[in-house]
Amino acid sequence: MAEWLLEIFSEEIPSRMQKGAQEQLGALAKAHLLKEGLSFNTIHTFVTPRRLTLVVEGLPLRTPEKIEEKRGPRIDASPAALEGFLKGENVRREDCVVKETPKGNFLFVVKKEPGGSTPEILSSLTPRLLEQFRWAKSMRWGNISTPWVRPIRNFLSLFEGNIVPFSYAGVNSSNQTQGHRFLAPGPFTVHNFEDYQEKLRKHFVILDWNERRSLIHQGMTQIAQESNLKLLEDEALLDEVAGLVEWPVPLKGAVDSHFMNLPREVITTPMRVHQRYFPFENANGKLAPTFGVVANLETRDKGKTIVIGNERVLRARLADAQFFWEQDQKKPLETYNTNLKTRLFHQQLGSLFDKVERLIKLSSHIAKTLKADPQTMKWVERAALLSKADLASHMVGEFPELQGIMGRYYAQNQGEASEVSQAIEEHYWPINANDKRIPTTIESIILAIADRIDTLVGFFAIGIIPSGSKDPFALRRAGHALIRLCRESEKLPEISILNLLEKAYDTYEWSNVTPPHLKSKEETVRDLWKFLIECYKFWLKAFGVRHDYIDAVLGVADEDSNFKSLHGRAASLVLNSQLQQFSQNNLDLLTAYKRAANILKIESTKDKKSYEEGVREDLLIAPEEKQLFTRLSEESAKIQALAQEKKYSEAIQRLATLRDPVDLFFDKVMVNVKEDAVRTNRLHLLALLRKTFHQVADFSKIEG
Amino acid sequence: MKTNFQTLILKLQEFWSQKGCVILQPYDAEVGAGTFHPATTLKALGPKPWRAAYVQPSRRPADGRYGENPNRLYRHHQYQVILKPSPPDVQDIYLESLKYIGLDPALHDIRFVEDDWESPTLGASGLGWEVWGDGQEITQFTYFQQVGGFPCDPVPAELTYGLERLAQVLQGIENVYDLDWNNPEGESPMTYGDVALQMEQEFSAFSFEHADAAMIFRHFEDAESMCRHLVENKLVLPAYEYCLKASHLFNLLDARGVLSVTERANYIGHVRTLARQCCELWMENVNG
Repeated sequence: MAEWLLEIFSEEIPSRMQKGAQEQLGALAKAHLLKEGLSFNTIHTFVTPRRLTLVVEGLPLRTPEKIEEKRGPRIDASPAALEGFLKGENVRREDCVVKETPKGNFLFVVKKEPGGSTPEILSSLTPRLLEQFRWAKSMRWGNISTPWVRPIRNFLSLFEGNIVPFSYAGVNSSNQTQGHRFLAPGPFTVHNFEDYQEKLRKHFVILDWNERRSLIHQGMTQIAQESNLKLLEDEALLDEVAGLVEWPVPLKGAVDSHFMNLPREVITTPMRVHQRYFPFENANGKLAPTFGVVANLETRDKGKTIVIGNERVLRARLADAQFFWEQDQKKPLETYNTNLKTRLFHQQLGSLFDKVERLIKLSSHIAKTLKADPQTMKWVERAALLSKADLASHMVGEFPELQGIMGRYYAQNQGEASEVSQAIEEHYWPINANDKRIPTTIESIILAIADRIDTLVGFFAIGIIPSGSKDPFALRRAGHALIRLCRESEKLPEISILNLLEKAYDTYEWSNVTPPHLKSKEETVRDLWKFLIECYKFWLKAFGVRHDYIDAVLGVADEDSNFKSLHGRAASLVLNSQLQQFSQNNLDLLTAYKRAANILKIESTKDKKSYEEGVREDLLIAPEEKQLFTRLSEESAKIQALAQEKKYSEAIQRLATLRDPVDLFFDKVMVNVKEDAVRTNRLHLLALLRKTFHQVADFSKIEG
Repeated sequence: MKTNFQTLILKLQEFWSQKGCVILQPYDAEVGAGTFHPATTLKALGPKPWRAAYVQPSRRPADGRYGENPNRLYRHHQYQVILKPSPPDVQDIYLESLKYIGLDPALHDIRFVEDDWESPTLGASGLGWEVWGDGQEITQFTYFQQVGGFPCDPVPAELTYGLERLAQVLQGIENVYDLDWNNPEGESPMTYGDVALQMEQEFSAFSFEHADAAMIFRHFEDAESMCRHLVENKLVLPAYEYCLKASHLFNLLDARGVLSVTERANYIGHVRTLARQCCELWMENVNG
């Protein structure tokens, strides 16, 4: 059993692409080896800023001989058929054997394909593998037209310690590689993977991404402990920095104290985003005047020069931030709205200022729908007016991540109500799928919903709809955020999304923007609603909800366009074991229900009637139908009440009590009788049964 | 002794001269970056090898701060190197140049951090990094992939040193105006402020307050039609010079704050069209 080691040594690979590249290399290697008939025990891949490494253990020295047996014609077949077979297989008669089969004696030819030598296979396989490798962004260099993420400078490829010869992108494979760029420059020879890993470490390279990441985390935690501080955990930053260094050296720097009066986010954003520094806080939860920076090397002055340099850069960044902070507050926040007039929201949808004007109208409409008190109404409108003003501030111009946050600070400082300043920040929540935050006040939620709906309706109306991977305006994110806002927010009472979509369409002043292909309100709302339902379906599926449950819940979505209650229905369907029991224990009830629904469907199509006028008690004859009617009348009201209170699981339990009367009804009573009045009345009874079930979900969609 | 501003330039000239570059002078028209010099933009296209290096004073009217900001300048200086085709050891040569100017990579933290470069006005783009020295961006390192909408074949490497920032790292100075321009112990020591402050103050006032927008709009139109006229007459270098003028006039309008977002995109589009036509003409000539 043998080992294959491959290292692709290049100029610095962007950090964000490293993990994906590592996975891709493993997957491609596996596919290619299997295709060549090469078995193996394990595949491991590694990545650093300058190398992408693959090691495969347990390969055979040769692929096994392939034996293929091919059946020809029967021995008594015509000479022409025999001739044809021999010619086709390029063999002579004496190369064939005769074998007895149940269908007679046949001619067989046995072909042996010799196995290949593994290193030879690897030689020819590697360039093909590299050719199939896909980077999110790749480039050409020098006279080389083969694309890669950055120029490839060396290949190390060893099988059992010997070079696997190949050439790609103008580079020949070798038995050498290089260590750290500054701490151990120059090439060295490698014998196998163990040797490789050891020598790399001696040459100041830690091959394993996870090891580098945990070293960085340890280093930062240690800085925190030594200074009696707490590290502000940041997984994404750890990931990024692990891809920026081969030899991580954590260092501690100081933030000038006179900057510490700036808002926390104003200090930490340039730290994290621009400089990749780790911030800390003290025991009181206040930001500490300390940062952690990860250098890529040890120096003879123990990093002193590096720390001084980094402190200087941070001072310059924070001096900029301080300047913006002061400049921005020389004018009241609302005056920035003027600058929004020349900033486009979208060419066909007007300026950001137009959006602000719509947000005031739409959020005020939502507040009215929710019967908000006059004070809340005032705050909502004020928050909407100021919601986008900070986009024109210097600070957000420089640090776009601070949108909303600066608005909150500036509003606070000019004496706005906390409901207003909070809503300015929170209306952006959740900012993405990983953001766990949901707006906390009713003002924030109203504004957050209005903002998402305005965006979605606008883009759908001009025909910009996400398709496949194309979603340049992040409409899927807006859709998912909208659903989450409706679903998770405790403060949000019932609200019909469909009504809001229509209202949002009317809020656009289409005559002023005149997009070339404007869709009608009906079409826009229909398309967008379908899209939102798809978003919700996607989420439910990702959550592992059975597809028939999803269909059952979404079957009533048009009548109840409210994600909060839809979600209540879904949650009770899923979480409640009652339902599973219900499906298992009440197979006959479910069958009966489906039978009722079926009969109704057939008869109402035939009669072109919907049977919704209600049951006439005087026309009930059989005791079983009388009893079913009594029970349905009792339960239907109760179930309706439970559904309104979102107590779906209890509603399901009540449905289960209908089992006996329904069974008895179908056992003893015939629906399609000759007396038309009786028949009609019985159909009405079935309609009542269906309606009772529909208060919970569309059970006809449930498999069972 | 710490490297002063002019010594930094002299050292870079010396170094790149030894590496086979032709040492050129700055382009004698207003440009926003060393990339706009025809020795980079036009020479990056076509099959012929080319190595050049030069200082390029770069004007960015919107970045003017009346000499009051320690880091932002109306006019800063770039040291521009173009190597076509990019040599296999281009990173090593670059790091050697840092040593040559007194930046010891064993003492500083030099890092190559992903930064893809794009110039919408030139229709140019490339992949590469910003090079960090102790957290400060000191160089833009780019493998040109296309210019004027044409793919670069062979691919040149472009190194753009930010001279003020580099000098700040070398001298350990926070405020650009405090940099030593020449030898601080010599007969007539000058700081960066002594040499450049007045220009910063006056040109900031010019571009933010006194630039006559109506006149600049006219000049833009003139430059644009001159460029087209010259393209028609197949005079690629004069045509390109008028494209540069249009680009600078656009920057002035932008700084003056008289362009809406749509207009801004529209003007960028106009300059890009001129640049593309010049590059097209250039390609006809070098290939013909």
